[in-house]
Amino acid sequence: MIVRLAAALVATLALAAPAAAACTHPRTSLSYMEGQIMCPTCHTTLDQSDSPAALRIEAEISKRIAQCWTADQIRAELVQNFGAGILAAPPRKGFDLLAWWLPIGAVILGAGLLAFGVWRWSRGRDGPEPPPEESGLDAESERRLDEALARFE
Amino acid sequence: MTRALKLSGQAIALAVVAGMLGLLVWKLTHQSHPPKLGGPAPAFSLKRLDGGGTVDLTSLRGKPVVLNFWASWCPPCKSEASALEAAYRRYRAQGVVFLGIDYHDVTGDARTFLSHHDVTYTTLQDGSGKVGDKYGLTGVPETFFVDRRGRLVGFHIEGPITDSKLAAEFRRGVHAALSS
Repeated sequence: MIVRLAAALVATLALAAPAAAACTHPRTSLSYMEGQIMCPTCHTTLDQSDSPAALRIEAEISKRIAQCWTADQIRAELVQNFGAGILAAPPRKGFDLLAWWLPIGAVILGAGLLAFGVWRWSRGRDGPEPPPEESGLDAESERRLDEALARFE
Repeated sequence: MTRALKLSGQAIALAVVAGMLGLLVWKLTHQSHPPKLGGPAPAFSLKRLDGGGTVDLTSLRGKPVVLNFWASWCPPCKSEASALEAAYRRYRAQGVVFLGIDYHDVTGDARTFLSHHDVTYTTLQDGSGKVGDKYGLTGVPETFFVDRRGRLVGFHIEGPITDSKLAAEFRRGVHAALSS
């Protein structure tokens, strides 16, 4: 199975060689794309999967790379074929932007709360000494108690 | 000041918890469950693989339907392709509609597969797998039978119909769909 797939890949690359020669922009690579695209049947990225569906998608990507397609063009074709769920990361536009900004916002908010907590805690430690508590005794009793305690020192 | 900050913190925490709860409820209400065999067949509308428009399952109400989920990368699907085509040719005179549903597949590969195996019945494209998920697919090939009233026959086939036991099940499924 894998041998046949490799043979098909080699044949495709050989056929696409003239197109590759005419490529006018930096060519994307299969290893890069493998990390960008999910295997639809096993829900991991292609580089983590050896499933038949993943191998077929890799062969399709290799064919498109050989035909000089850009990474964006390949992604667009795969999304048209498999839906947006084929992308390992959500697109950076529209509602999907939330998936990028919410974690960043949560980290900033958490850091702010932590900083505020630390500031409050350190401020509480450095504050003035609290006034001594009232004993509830009158002045005469206080004096006599002090004298009695002094005898024990 | 401190009291206002504490209240703000509590409000933020409550909002976060409410948001999480909302997400959980949304997820639970949007989860797909396998269909109840004998119950209504999950509705769908899918593009034809040959590019000629879409097919809606509800438009086939009144006809028995065989739904076969397959993919070009699936070896057992290759082995059953000619048997399914033969069954289609045999049963179409009785009004049975065959629908192939190409699941999680590269379009070009699927077209090559159909041409190579001389498949002539209608094939639809389920690249995202949403319809397969609605039917609770565990793999391909899987075959379901829908009766004239749009209900799933009480069993389905997991595996190629070339298997002798599954071939008998296939005939039983078609007849059950026809007789209801």
